[in-house]
Amino acid sequence: MAHVRIEGGDLIVEIEGLNKVWALKSRITVPLTNVRGATVDPGIMGEPKGVRSPGTHMPGVIVAGTFHSGGERIFWDVRDARKAIVIQLEDEQYARLVLEVDDPHAAVDLIEHAL
Amino acid sequence: MGRPRGFDEDEAVRAAVGLFGRQSFAGTSVDDLVSHLGVHRGSLYKTFGSKRGLYLAALRQHVDRDVAAAAEVFAATTGIDAAVHRIATAGPDLGLLLLALVERAPVDPEVAVETSRALARLRDARADLDQALGLLLRTRAIGPAPEFVGE
Repeated sequence: MAHVRIEGGDLIVEIEGLNKVWALKSRITVPLTNVRGATVDPGIMGEPKGVRSPGTHMPGVIVAGTFHSGGERIFWDVRDARKAIVIQLEDEQYARLVLEVDDPHAAVDLIEHAL
Repeated sequence: MGRPRGFDEDEAVRAAVGLFGRQSFAGTSVDDLVSHLGVHRGSLYKTFGSKRGLYLAALRQHVDRDVAAAAEVFAATTGIDAAVHRIATAGPDLGLLLLALVERAPVDPEVAVETSRALARLRDARADLDQALGLLLRTRAIGPAPEFVGE
């Protein structure tokens, strides 16, 4: 589970719970100028994830950590596909973040309206 | 912007106009877009940033093409029923504009800018636009009025 918030021109993502251990990262800060958009996307769990770097992948259970796919680095932290959102970045370490959040529609609206 | 190619962006946006115009914004999933647009999920996000980014691109294209074409039909046709009938049977399809007015314009200022642009364009062609919009909505729901069928 991740929490997203906007603070002083930055998007701040905080990973909580056990995923925090598996994802090996507890906080990601991205300037809003490097955020291209956010989308509710439960179907993304069915996509190939690519090659895993530090992190964990128990197929069908949880995906957390950094994955490499098609020359891109993608950060995953999803257990419940129904609550998955995708945040597209540019000029950042990660091409996109795929996160599980408590209220996907609220999180996406928060980000899209801040851009 | 460093956009990836490998797909025809204009064509993909065109397909999105059709999809969003039939299914609405909320009713169209990224899975729907990926399977109908012939675009990989990664390319979709890289090119448009989000589903909303693609929706805005689709709406802009819709206003520039379809709404502009509808304005021409409006301007060229005298009777309001005949104009709406022509659009309902021969196009352009104004589904995206009609849905955007109801679904997204009230909650998304950038969508509202585009729908206002569309309405201004149509009103230039047709002073009785509000009546025409009502007829378009009714026609979308129940089909063209029988008295005009076969005209």
